[in-house]
Amino acid sequence: MSLSFDVSKPLADYGHVLRDWSVSQLRPLARQADTDHVLPDNWRDVMATCPVGVGSPNIRNNEPPPAFDEGYWLTHLVIHENVSYGDLWVIPKMGNGIGHLVVEAMGTPEQVEKWYKPIAESGNVTAFALTEPGFGSDTSKVQTTATRDGDNWVINGNKIYCTQGSECEYVVVFATIDKSLGGKGINAFVVPAGTPGFVVVKPNEDKLGITSWSTSELLFDNCVIPAENRLGYDAAGSKVSVKGGQAAALTALSVNRPNMSMMAIGVAEASVDIAEERLRADRAGFSAQRWSVIETDLYRMRLALDRGRRVVFNAMAKVDGGEMDRTWAAIGKGFPPQTCERVVRRCMLLLGPDGMSKDLLLEKWYRDLKIMDIFEGSGQVQRIIVGRSLMGRIAG
Amino acid sequence: MFDISLSEEHLSVAEMCRSIATDVLYPAARQAEADGSVPSSVWKVLLETGLTQPVAEELGGAGVPDAVTQMIAAENLAYGDPGIALAALWNGAVAYVLGQHGEATHRQQVSDLLSRADLRAGLAFYEGFGRELAEFTTSVTLSGDEVRVQGRKVGVPFAGTAEFYLVVGADPETGDVRLVTVPAAAAGVTAARGSGWLALDAAGLGTVEFDVTVPAANLVGGQEAGSAALAATLQRLRLLTAAVQLGAAQRAVDYASKYATERVAFGQPIAAFQGISFPLAEAQMRLEQLRLEIAEAASRLDGEAFEDHSPTVAAVVSYAADVAPEASRTAVQTLGGHGFIKDHPVEIWYRSCAALSTLDFDPATTVFSVAL
Repeated sequence: MSLSFDVSKPLADYGHVLRDWSVSQLRPLARQADTDHVLPDNWRDVMATCPVGVGSPNIRNNEPPPAFDEGYWLTHLVIHENVSYGDLWVIPKMGNGIGHLVVEAMGTPEQVEKWYKPIAESGNVTAFALTEPGFGSDTSKVQTTATRDGDNWVINGNKIYCTQGSECEYVVVFATIDKSLGGKGINAFVVPAGTPGFVVVKPNEDKLGITSWSTSELLFDNCVIPAENRLGYDAAGSKVSVKGGQAAALTALSVNRPNMSMMAIGVAEASVDIAEERLRADRAGFSAQRWSVIETDLYRMRLALDRGRRVVFNAMAKVDGGEMDRTWAAIGKGFPPQTCERVVRRCMLLLGPDGMSKDLLLEKWYRDLKIMDIFEGSGQVQRIIVGRSLMGRIAG
Repeated sequence: MFDISLSEEHLSVAEMCRSIATDVLYPAARQAEADGSVPSSVWKVLLETGLTQPVAEELGGAGVPDAVTQMIAAENLAYGDPGIALAALWNGAVAYVLGQHGEATHRQQVSDLLSRADLRAGLAFYEGFGRELAEFTTSVTLSGDEVRVQGRKVGVPFAGTAEFYLVVGADPETGDVRLVTVPAAAAGVTAARGSGWLALDAAGLGTVEFDVTVPAANLVGGQEAGSAALAATLQRLRLLTAAVQLGAAQRAVDYASKYATERVAFGQPIAAFQGISFPLAEAQMRLEQLRLEIAEAASRLDGEAFEDHSPTVAAVVSYAADVAPEASRTAVQTLGGHGFIKDHPVEIWYRSCAALSTLDFDPATTVFSVAL
């Protein structure tokens, strides 16, 4: 074959193991996590039953996944899809946040040593605070300020939608040191939990979906941190040359985006499977004409999910191959979620009112996956990125 | 002659319902959802309008408005909250059907529904499987002075809390539409509320199974009830769901549009970006079309009472099931993260529009289509 769109058998088998595990172990906790807005007490025990390493601090002591021919990013797509197939509650517990990843990308060697490496070993949670009440996609509008005061920085401002912001070891806060500089004045600062003035205003927002993921509102009220906590600078305030600077750091974060699509594809596929099983059991209740439409629908939905997988795998294969291209990632993030929403909705419709009952998980997944086209760069932002690949920065 | 200008009465009903929607229903939406029922103070306000339960004056009601008027009322009430609106409209639908077709036995129930704010009656209508009225498998079999009712109904409002159900079925021999009232407490009536729903909890939806025998007098309109007339009445009830969806979707689009004019990003209100304004504009184009389609279907129900309007109504219901969830989706997307949290109400309309689509869905009317 000239090209191969199939993953290797070992990776496929690994995916099947994860899928079986997520259905048998994770899914039974899904409804309770959704209702309670917090994970059941036994979530660690449940995660500990995972039979293979996935690179999660909560599974087999952070054992990495086996080395497959496909490489790191494709392997993680397979993990995301198959774990999400069971339910999404587990996702925040699979990794340990992204604050330390920002440190790794933007920090000086000393900062990486101090803030990244211990986290990589311990698996403790770190958070990332960028969004504020007044902005989301337009990150140049950061209002949180960092003011130099002797050997310290003083942080003041409000941050919202910080995943696990209430339970992290530290949070990387984006703040401006000079509003007149616009986007160029924005810097990243490491603020450890427990620092006076670092206040968790709300541990978890009341949300449409992913209710058990803690989405925190944070307040920094004259929060004083040492000068050396400004990423990419030494304590004296001199810029230290790092791998690629802020742009590279943002690109590094953006390549994570297709994983969001893979979660959407995972729950959408689970919805199709559940719908199909129930519909087949009830087949006698449908007229021949309707049954024919239903079979066509199931086929079309599976085709749609395959199309989503294709753009996502394409994006991540590029990353595995060393091409850090935001456009491929944007296509991988922008294409699948909206269609996955339609897939889950169509599955509910095919099942009739029973389809939207809380006795099934389809209605939960319909609520959960709405976020996939919003966070980590909304669908609109992905379109801008793709548009700019065609038309340059004039595209808005 | 083509004339679709709304009358003074249409306009005043729209205005009154819109103001009740925003002043009374909207503030009660979260509470009604949490309680799984409509607060009694809200219920009383709705009862007083007379529009949710159209009953003739000689039966003690405020009169039966034409279908166009009732759709206007339904849309505008749903603008406040689709769950509460649906609850009131469906309870009222039982009074409407009994008032239109019932005989002596049912007069008392109509009177009770008009006067008792605590009385709930469940319209046991939908069966799922995309079934049309003519295909319902719920059987209503007359045998001497008794009627046997057997079947399973889904999306039944007030399941488990209703005092009685109005069951829609068919005579298994003739295929004629039959309506029959069944006391909720009767042996052989099993209501299951399940664990709740994606939305519309205010209407107390559930599944009800009937395997029950009731007196022949419970047959609405008696043994000689006209099947075509009953069917026409039921088509009007189906149309209500589409009107409720329209109201919810319109509210979502209006809310998101206002937000887009206020939220500033990249140096201007986000409404200035076509990526924001065009999807909302397209949603509005579809909703205006849906509004016209509902109005035409309602006017045909008003004008040609004994014709079979099921294809017309099925087309409206199917279009609403498609465009309302998509419009509410566009609204959530416009607000971004703010659309996803419950500080804003858009998520209610997002859930409600999808939930409403499941009630009366026929897979044969549309096919799955991808977004990109």
